[in-house]
Amino acid sequence: MYGRRASQLLKEIDSSEAGQLAPFNTDVFDQVIRECSEHNSQFQSLIRKMVEQNLDIETTRNEDHYGAAIHHLSLLRNKRCLMAYMYNRAEVILSFRWKVGPVLPHDIQEKLHFSEKEYFKNHSAAIKSYISEMDIDLTVDMVPPKDPYIQVRVLEDIGEVSLGDHSVSLTKNSLHFLRRTDAEQFISQGLMEEFLE
Amino acid sequence: MAKFPYSSRTRIHGRLPRTRARLLAESLLLPSPDSDANYYDIDDILTEDEPISVVFQVTANGVGLLDPGAESNCVEKGAKVDLPFWLAHGLLTLEQAVSINPPPCFTQRTWKEIQADAACVDLRVLCPYFYELGCKIVPFRYKEVLSKSHSSSMMTMPKFVPRFTKEESRVFESARESMAAFKKWRAGGVRLQKASILGRKRKTKLHDGQPTP
Repeated sequence: MYGRRASQLLKEIDSSEAGQLAPFNTDVFDQVIRECSEHNSQFQSLIRKMVEQNLDIETTRNEDHYGAAIHHLSLLRNKRCLMAYMYNRAEVILSFRWKVGPVLPHDIQEKLHFSEKEYFKNHSAAIKSYISEMDIDLTVDMVPPKDPYIQVRVLEDIGEVSLGDHSVSLTKNSLHFLRRTDAEQFISQGLMEEFLE
Repeated sequence: MAKFPYSSRTRIHGRLPRTRARLLAESLLLPSPDSDANYYDIDDILTEDEPISVVFQVTANGVGLLDPGAESNCVEKGAKVDLPFWLAHGLLTLEQAVSINPPPCFTQRTWKEIQADAACVDLRVLCPYFYELGCKIVPFRYKEVLSKSHSSSMMTMPKFVPRFTKEESRVFESARESMAAFKKWRAGGVRLQKASILGRKRKTKLHDGQPTP
């Protein structure tokens, strides 16, 4: 109570590395929500006590008022913690779209709450429609390019992929000379790496 | 339903970039717990969790859990209780219900120790959010932290690092990272990289035996 449980959620975010996500802590999250109900019911009963004694709620400053104020402050605190938890996780999820791509690997998806998965899906859809209107792929060239073509080594078997006007067979450990924009999405998924002499 | 007289907070002019320095500056100018710009900021929220010793100037009903020594479900006037900063601040400014004693990390003794040799004072033990909470001793240790972090290499960890507060750790780490990035750029390494989130050991098969695409 009084915000102690809510801090646990934030400490969890604080202790994880930047850009990484821990699994959504549904247990603690629900506990905090239950505590909010508890604070609220205590608050209501203190206010009701004052009303029954025919005291003016807005101006009276008695023990019940101060107790109610403490419960109210605790509610605001819990709310802040819950919202900050969701907000900071949402920021990390947004960054996934740009770093990894529109489809998340299975082990990341396991860590997301249902609403977070929805959020990611809608965000990806919004980016996709924006990109198609602009007719430029915004997710490539995240690092300023020096050369339109780079040499890559394939790390895992991908198979036949059609890039532009020809198709390439991407077998493991083969070297290719590809256009940067095509190679970038494979590199960010870990399927290829840039090959330096 | 009672209307509580919570007035809106004044804001700092303009929109400064979301940097550590700006957070520190804001806490120097406006030590208010609900500043809009910091609402979602984890460090700000955790800073306000730090315990502060208060003396209740009034009695409060229905909150006996706050005071471990309370016999009934209330906190009596005159009780000395440790409250988290957010609660102490709210009760002080909005209700005048408590009086605050400054936490032990801000005594004359600490100040003298820091003046003697800043790097040797173990701030984390005193208070991990020393700066954000106290905002008095900033210029002193900052310069030293910055210069040491730039000069130390990747491998060596100076012996005072475990003593850093959170703020200093971040300054230290970001200076270290920028030095490492600079060296990497000089050496001309690969520029495109696998997304760091995928760097962990991952399952290579889905549960039905198919490999992940």
